[in-house]
Amino acid sequence: MSMLEIKNLSKSFGDLEVLRDININIERGEVVVVIGPSGSGKSTMLRCVNLLERPTNGAILFEGQDITRLGRDTPSYRQKVGMVFQRFNLFPLKTVLENVTYAPQRLLRLPRGTAHFQGMEYLRKVGMESKADAYPNTLSGGQQQRVAIARALAMRPEVLLFDEPTSALDPELVGDVLAVMKQLAREGMTMLVVTHEMGFAREVAHRVIFMDQGYIVEEGTPEEIFGNPRNDRTRAFLARIL
Amino acid sequence: MELHFGRAFAALAPSLLDGVGIVLYITIVGFLSSLVVGLVLAIGRLSHNRILNVILIGFIEIIRGTPLLVQFFYIYYVVPMLIAGFASMLFGVNINVQIAASTSGIIGFAINYGCYLSEVIRGAIVAVDPGQREAGLALGFNEAQVLFRFIIPPALRNSIPVFGNYLVMMIKDTSLLAMISVQELLLRTRTFASQTFLTVEAYTILALVYLVLSIPLSQAAKYLEHRLQRPR
Repeated sequence: MSMLEIKNLSKSFGDLEVLRDININIERGEVVVVIGPSGSGKSTMLRCVNLLERPTNGAILFEGQDITRLGRDTPSYRQKVGMVFQRFNLFPLKTVLENVTYAPQRLLRLPRGTAHFQGMEYLRKVGMESKADAYPNTLSGGQQQRVAIARALAMRPEVLLFDEPTSALDPELVGDVLAVMKQLAREGMTMLVVTHEMGFAREVAHRVIFMDQGYIVEEGTPEEIFGNPRNDRTRAFLARIL
Repeated sequence: MELHFGRAFAALAPSLLDGVGIVLYITIVGFLSSLVVGLVLAIGRLSHNRILNVILIGFIEIIRGTPLLVQFFYIYYVVPMLIAGFASMLFGVNINVQIAASTSGIIGFAINYGCYLSEVIRGAIVAVDPGQREAGLALGFNEAQVLFRFIIPPALRNSIPVFGNYLVMMIKDTSLLAMISVQELLLRTRTFASQTFLTVEAYTILALVYLVLSIPLSQAAKYLEHRLQRPR
């Protein structure tokens, strides 16, 4: 049984079909990178996985359980699935450390001291421990994103979702964030990453999925997708972007 | 015309000082109550329940469409009669209901300002970046927790300057309470003026007292507005 099984997932906004018959299996420890042109539905697919969007049809099985039927148990499912957003979405009235420790204290009931100790560990991991007492709006985008990763990690999630985590960053800040993500991948974190960073996909992904117009067009190892794409649309996309 | 400000001030000041106490008491309690009413109404308006929304919109429009002074009269004179009427109708008991004038004032302010503040708060809630809600949900908080922990605090914080302006307005609006016999500043001044005929002096002093109360507050509101815009 895969850790996460997306089965025949479709999503419509009114008459607009954004996702059509998506099937993805993700094993524990696997890094899956989703690429594709904007409007291809890859972000919507990602947001369906933690139910920020409700799927129109299909099932999403997490450890065998269909999460689209959780109802009131949805929040406790989301605790196990970390998410990193394109625009960071840090809490502006909380310090960096409070951003990281708030959810573990309130939701996992960690004592304050433990939460702070662990929070500092996660901040060290993303290289932000020196900014623990700073407020988010005093940080650069890359720093904010690394704090956001620490915040997601602090809930000890079983899988991390990344929604274009470097798309809102200045080019010179992208590297720091990617370095943190690579480190996580090496440590065996299960990751589903939507990104335009082809270098990251090539280097870190176990599997690359190319989406276009709501469909999964092609799926394979980085070598297969980047070295020898079989589909015309994949070839056209890669030719444009590389 | 001969003016006797010294004499007028010496005679009027002690009475006005008592009046200031009453004004501040009514304003502070009234304003805190109006914040609670405003927050409750704002949250109610944000619910997706159509019936609740229609009821709240109707209520808010009635309050905003009638003068505050009329509402004070209504609470002070009419509501006690209604309560007594219902009590005798439903339970067959005759009771003598009275609402103290200052309490009527506080209730009136709570409802009237609550309706105006609810629109301020609702606007501020809607203006909070939807990314905050998504971040809270993604961490595993439920919708209610997200609302109270991540949406309302920044919304209220962003509304502080507007609250300051409403607070200053409320201080000045306490003068309306003279009409329902609250011993506030205007009523005390009018009584004094009619007894001493120091009319010019008395009302000039009264105006100055209101300025002394309101100017520091509106300056504080401006300062807060400035500070909140600055990144911390």
